[in-house]
Amino acid sequence: MAVFLQQISAGLSVASILLLIALGLAIIYGTMGVINLAHGDFLMLGAYCTWYLEAHLGFGLLESIPTAFLMVAAAGWLIERTVVQHLYHRPLDTILATWGIGMMLEEGMRLAAGAEPRYVKLPSSVDSSVHLLGMEFSLYRLVIIAITVALLAITWYLFGKTEFGMKVRAVTQNRSVSECYGINTKTVYSLTFAYGAGLAGVAGALVAPIKSVSPDMGTHFVVDAFLVVVVGGVGSLLGTVLSAGILGELNAGIAFILNDTLAKAIVFLAVIVVIRFRPQGLFANRVRG
Amino acid sequence: MPKRINKALLVYVLFAVILLVVPTFVGGDAYLLNKFSRYLALGILAVALSLSWGYGGILNLGQGVTFGIGAYGIAMYLKLAASASNPGGLPDFMGWNNVSSLPWFWQPFHHLSFALLAGIGIPVLVAIVLGWFMFRARIVGVFVAIITLAMLVVTNLLFIDQQRYTGGFNGMTNLAILKVGPVSLDPYSLTFYYFASGLLIVILLAGFYIVNSKFGLVLRAIKENPDRVRFLGYDVAIYQTVAFAISGAMAAAAGMLYAMVLQFASPTFMGVALSLSVVIWCAVGGRDSLLAAAIGAILVNALQGTLSNQFLDTAQLLLGAVFVLVVLFLPRGLAGISEVFARKAKRSAPAVVAGAQATGRLKPEAPDRKPGKHAEVR
Amino acid sequence: MMTALLELNNVSVSFYGFKAVQELSLSVKDGELRCLLGANGAGKSTTLDLICGKTKSTGGDIRFKGENITDLPEYRRARLGIGRKFQVPTVFKDLTVTENLEVARSKRCGVWQTLRRSGVRMDARVEEVATVVGLQDRMTAKAGHLSHGETQWLEIAMLLMQDSKLLLMDEPTAGMTMGETAKTSEILNGLKGRHTLIVVEHDMSFVREIAEKITVMHQGALLAEGTIAEVASNEQVRAAYLGSGGFGHA
Repeated sequence: MAVFLQQISAGLSVASILLLIALGLAIIYGTMGVINLAHGDFLMLGAYCTWYLEAHLGFGLLESIPTAFLMVAAAGWLIERTVVQHLYHRPLDTILATWGIGMMLEEGMRLAAGAEPRYVKLPSSVDSSVHLLGMEFSLYRLVIIAITVALLAITWYLFGKTEFGMKVRAVTQNRSVSECYGINTKTVYSLTFAYGAGLAGVAGALVAPIKSVSPDMGTHFVVDAFLVVVVGGVGSLLGTVLSAGILGELNAGIAFILNDTLAKAIVFLAVIVVIRFRPQGLFANRVRG
Repeated sequence: MPKRINKALLVYVLFAVILLVVPTFVGGDAYLLNKFSRYLALGILAVALSLSWGYGGILNLGQGVTFGIGAYGIAMYLKLAASASNPGGLPDFMGWNNVSSLPWFWQPFHHLSFALLAGIGIPVLVAIVLGWFMFRARIVGVFVAIITLAMLVVTNLLFIDQQRYTGGFNGMTNLAILKVGPVSLDPYSLTFYYFASGLLIVILLAGFYIVNSKFGLVLRAIKENPDRVRFLGYDVAIYQTVAFAISGAMAAAAGMLYAMVLQFASPTFMGVALSLSVVIWCAVGGRDSLLAAAIGAILVNALQGTLSNQFLDTAQLLLGAVFVLVVLFLPRGLAGISEVFARKAKRSAPAVVAGAQATGRLKPEAPDRKPGKHAEVR
Repeated sequence: MMTALLELNNVSVSFYGFKAVQELSLSVKDGELRCLLGANGAGKSTTLDLICGKTKSTGGDIRFKGENITDLPEYRRARLGIGRKFQVPTVFKDLTVTENLEVARSKRCGVWQTLRRSGVRMDARVEEVATVVGLQDRMTAKAGHLSHGETQWLEIAMLLMQDSKLLLMDEPTAGMTMGETAKTSEILNGLKGRHTLIVVEHDMSFVREIAEKITVMHQGALLAEGTIAEVASNEQVRAAYLGSGGFGHA
């Protein structure tokens, strides 16, 4: 029983990080149909932001998180305005263009900050373990899960209950009609993209203390994240959550029996099968207009 | 033969001549010859992608699958050849992984003919299975890209995981030099360079034949509107799968050449970075021309090869920028630049008239034109 | 009694609850030229979609040459001899006129067959068909550069190249001049006998030129069938078109 619970908890930790990264991607994919392959590099920007703030300005992790959000959101805004907005009706081209942008971000960071890995210190306040249900959990991992849940709630509220959210949903369903009602769709798209990017920045800030910060750290996450989003389905926040949970747990479970590498391979094979039989995703709740 | 085909063939011949003449400017520098051979191998890889993407509309983000399996195919043969003096003829990495004797599926790779057959055959089989899986279900564009990318990661991980049989993360190193009869294909020799050039030329010609055949024509129609092609009676899934498989065969050949050039095969051949790089070279060169794609790959790699480390990062940054610009504004790559200018020049009277007619606004010269449905041209 | 070439038996299709076609039964003889008429939304195009396989029916069955084709995918039906011209002219814009016609020459459509043939055969057949529709001077033009009328012609030419037994034509004269319409009726009249045609149209004078038997649809169901005279004097038809200027302006 204990082993089983341990397994669940390990999966939960993986799933929450995956969800954090996938959340921003899901917002962007769900609203605009854009598969943002630069998302991992947005995470990287957030991580570097955190490192810089800590190393040069003495920021703590708590202050870094909203700062990372804002800075990466601003970068996202810029990228949407210059490149992405031209490609909304060309999904294949958005994959390519965002990959190109990601490349540029990586190389730019390599030129600016060098290729050696940087390290962000884990604040001592969260560097301990907690005993729960007879098992040990890293406090920081619990913090990550808590923040992820909080962000999920904020996002749900933002897109489901506010006027801004309503505008987003209107634009997603029918862009031209929304414009007839006076909604500035360009701004809606830019803000949404920026928000998604900002979320990736927060993910980067949170992940920075537990992984080293390097220009190519994002590529490790981006493929996993967008597979979570695609499997979850277009336009379904719940779908993304469930998908992250399922894939995270599956990965952890198989890794327990076999090993990490094979686990990931098998999960990806499962994803291929899902996409083939249900390209719209498992939990798609809307036909994209 | 039509004028257009004659003109195109002439360009191919010119390209071949340039290739064959290059060594004379190099003065027998073996290191340079090896680098050039490497670029040619990557050129073949770009041709493979151009066939499936530029002509078939199939964006294969995982071209590394067939490329990598082909590379490992020949690598297994060359590794065995290099390990002949080891105890039991066992490759070194097997010894390190406590493998006691050569596994049964390694045995046939003692023979060159088998290695060549398997090196092309297995990737083609994988392409057929994956292609059939996708195209029978009428999976389109974006999802094909996603599935092929996922498949690439799966293949990469499998090769890394099975390190007892594949050499794992480090792959298979210290491969022997291929000897065919009396000929020794030392990758640092002029002979090898000619071999690589010959292979590229042969593959280009094969590709040329295919795209100018009716099969190629149907493929281009499928790229534009697969449904319309179905209503004409063609089984689109079979066409796409065959194109995918031919592309896979070319990529496998490229992989074999690549492994011979570098004298090793590693999981990086099946990495996301390389596969996406091929996409970039193709896009920048011109994805819907086999030759433009090959040239794009060769030039980009040559450029990267000549720049010192300092400028490499800047060059990569610029490449990324060029790529984004190409995606945004130049769907036919740099090769299509001349076309963009030609199109701007054509924006003159005839086209304007045709455009006006299409929207039904130009009535006066056709007073008896009926008020038919104002149908949209797609 | 000649068995019908095409038979629809109680065919229905609904989209999200909307009954586009309701229990339609239709029988077309070999060599016939049938006109399918009706107001907008009557289900005429949908019926053609059902026959060529673009839409799957939710009820009933379809028989072609005696064979049940209800579950066959569209390319199989095309191979059996069903060709379709769409309401919105659908040609391959990136390909030249010659190339469009060559692709439409689809009697030998297997991969092995097409790999052994050239993609640019400007032979007598292609020239002939192009001349019939008046595109012989535009052979090297990209189909995307053609005018609307020329695109219509190209699609008709493609249908001729395809040489199908059953030709489904959706508003072939939309946007054409009187002269072009006359030419179209000539072509269609010349095709019947060897080919069977089902023509969806709105232009009544054109219909008068070509029609033998007419089927009138209304709100997805069969309203009336017969010659032009029979149908025009039909009470139900008149009622359906009441207030729209009569049947002659359908």
